[in-house]
Amino acid sequence: MQDGAAHWVMEALSRYEAALLRYATTLVGRSLAADVVQDTFLELCRAKREQVEGHLAAWLFTVCKHRALDVGKRERRLRSLEEAHVDEIPDSGPVSKLERREAASRVSAALAGLPEREREALVLKLDGGLSYKEIAEVMGLTPSNVGFILHGALKRLQREIVGEAEVPVRAAGRTS
Amino acid sequence: MNQTHEDTRVTDYALGELDAAARAAFEAELRESAELREELAGIESTLRALREEIGTTPKVALDEPRRERIRQELASATPRPKSRLRAVVFTAVTATAMAAGALVFVRSEGRAPSVTAVDRVASKYEKGMLGPQPTAAASAATGSKAKVDQERQAEGQRFQREAYDSFQDNPFIRVATDPRSTFSVDVDTASYALIRRHLNDGQLPPKGAVRIEEMINYFSYAYPEPEGDRPFSVSSEVGAAPWAPQHRLLKLGLKGKHVAPADVPGTNLVFLIDTSGSMSDENKLPLLKRAFELLVQQLDAVDRVSIVAYAGSAGLVLGPTPGNDKRAILSALDRLGAGGSTNGGQGIELAYKMANEGFVKGGVNRVVLATDGDFNVGVTSQSDLVELVEQKAKTGVFLSVLGFGSGNYNDSTMEKLADKGNGNYAYVDTLNEAKKVLVEQATGTLLTIAKDVKIQVEFNPSEVAAFRLIGYENRVLSHQDFNDDRKDAGEIGADHTVTALYEIVPAGRGLAVPGTDPLKYQTPGAPTGAAVKGELGTVKLRYKQPTGTESQLIEVAVRESGVTESSDFRFAAAVAELGMLLRDSPYKGSASYSEVVRLAQSGELDERRRELVDLAHKAEQLRR
Repeated sequence: MQDGAAHWVMEALSRYEAALLRYATTLVGRSLAADVVQDTFLELCRAKREQVEGHLAAWLFTVCKHRALDVGKRERRLRSLEEAHVDEIPDSGPVSKLERREAASRVSAALAGLPEREREALVLKLDGGLSYKEIAEVMGLTPSNVGFILHGALKRLQREIVGEAEVPVRAAGRTS
Repeated sequence: MNQTHEDTRVTDYALGELDAAARAAFEAELRESAELREELAGIESTLRALREEIGTTPKVALDEPRRERIRQELASATPRPKSRLRAVVFTAVTATAMAAGALVFVRSEGRAPSVTAVDRVASKYEKGMLGPQPTAAASAATGSKAKVDQERQAEGQRFQREAYDSFQDNPFIRVATDPRSTFSVDVDTASYALIRRHLNDGQLPPKGAVRIEEMINYFSYAYPEPEGDRPFSVSSEVGAAPWAPQHRLLKLGLKGKHVAPADVPGTNLVFLIDTSGSMSDENKLPLLKRAFELLVQQLDAVDRVSIVAYAGSAGLVLGPTPGNDKRAILSALDRLGAGGSTNGGQGIELAYKMANEGFVKGGVNRVVLATDGDFNVGVTSQSDLVELVEQKAKTGVFLSVLGFGSGNYNDSTMEKLADKGNGNYAYVDTLNEAKKVLVEQATGTLLTIAKDVKIQVEFNPSEVAAFRLIGYENRVLSHQDFNDDRKDAGEIGADHTVTALYEIVPAGRGLAVPGTDPLKYQTPGAPTGAAVKGELGTVKLRYKQPTGTESQLIEVAVRESGVTESSDFRFAAAVAELGMLLRDSPYKGSASYSEVVRLAQSGELDERRRELVDLAHKAEQLRR
């Protein structure tokens, strides 16, 4: 083992673990997020550094997302077999009611109430520090889609948080 | 097309996503508009609130057992070899077992190791080219050692097969549930050549490498020339589905108009050639050179040829040179030698620069990338590359990809590049194939006559109970995308034929639909007056002119013809049947290699079609 390589992965871990954990939490809930993030870094251990470098963040969030989707799907399947737990199945997006109730502040409540796509893009942007382009990679969109989604999300939040009755919408003519 | 939609620049600006020029322009607007300033202030205060919220969230971190697990993985991990599928598979599996051996304290829940997530990432990485492909290690490592041991072998085999892909055959769809089918055309042919190489090497191809539409489209069929100013004709034929006698088979055919070489205003070709060490094999660079020599014979004074090599440092081998200066072109070709490592990123930029310099207005402007798949983009990320290719395609410079050599790990990467670059992807395994791709079909391969070609078929419930699109699995579009001109789709070149087959379960005969149950709570809706007997459905096509932005629509009704199937029909059915056998499709029914041979031989065979019969024989032997 090379210390350099170990250092590199561990450095990535300390830099991104918090953001990845929060991201995974929005996708699969708190109890499974740690497993998902562990698996993500296990992947990173096996990847070649020069192939990840330059888009490490996008790589990590993409692997994390796919791992989360898979774990989440299996978990839901398992749970649906145990009827006793049926009411714990997330009803609108992966953030459970319980966790939503826990969200104390108005901001996090507004955030939790966003459509899944908007919340995901916001978490990637503000928490993960990803660029539009990187978010586009993770979410399978184009960078301009990402701008559009984030813009919509921020407008919606502004209405929720500030309680403004109407946030102005401007339109611009664009040639495409 | 002028579209009005919400201006997101306030957000882009607040998030630092505008480039220098756009930022300056936006700031100028800000100075002018109080309304805009107010909007920006709103967005910024929302962002501040969000950032505070995130900042006050307790710092979360991975717990110590999980950190330790990662350190152990690092200790046992060996870097994966580059782009060699099999080596990757075995390294991954071995290392997984090793890692699992050291794994005593992991969770006791004993979740079965899952490969689905990795499969999905794998296919995304192939398709979306996000970077190196993750391995099985992470998923499997969370299971217990015994579990891993138990499933190791099965998984190993699965990966060997599936790392190429992870797509399933399109299923049957009941017309009562969804009467429409929407997909993008595909004129790639690489899959057929890949299958041929595998079979000639004495092995069955990986199932994921078998894309049935590419096999069918490898062959041309006799379709009528388009009438008027339409770029292509549309025709259909209905007959028996040989592998399921109670089912019908619908064959749709598109044919791109013929363009005489003299009518092409000029061809500006930039060859971007991989001269990395791995290209020195006889079936790579030397083969490319011979094929290229043949192509050069077809060019004349109005044409331009440039050659850019990439290997270690990108280099201009030949600037835009008139096509009749054959001596200069051929001697530049001679200078190409393989050696060094690949850095395609700079090479492709240089290639596009040459394409601009030699741009032929109204003609064919194309970068032709020839590589064995070791396309290392260097400092640029893979997504930047796709974006570059996409953006250049909009300026009229398209990209075609020629794949060479075996162990072609980046099969899907190249397909993706060509797809985004409005180009074609062909796999070149023999000089004959090189001739077919570069010389005989030079206009078809090179001159795009219609782009973003989408097909939507609506089936008539009075005639059709269920249908299944054969192949085109990675070309399926959502129904809304059909009328959405922003959605990219496939291109058709001059003289190209595109063929699609649907397997149909006829209505009103009480036939079962494989893989689906009848609905419990609904009966089919009320057919409209148009749902007359005898009409199977309507085919709608949308396409754009090569430089257009607005699509045009063609509509054609499909009817039972009542005559015996044409030999083209039987041949296409034979190719599909061979593909289903090679994919071990759940819908193969009574398909057999002997039937493939019988169907194919029932019509006249040229050399190319004879080869299919030969391949069917080879596959049958290997199967035993």
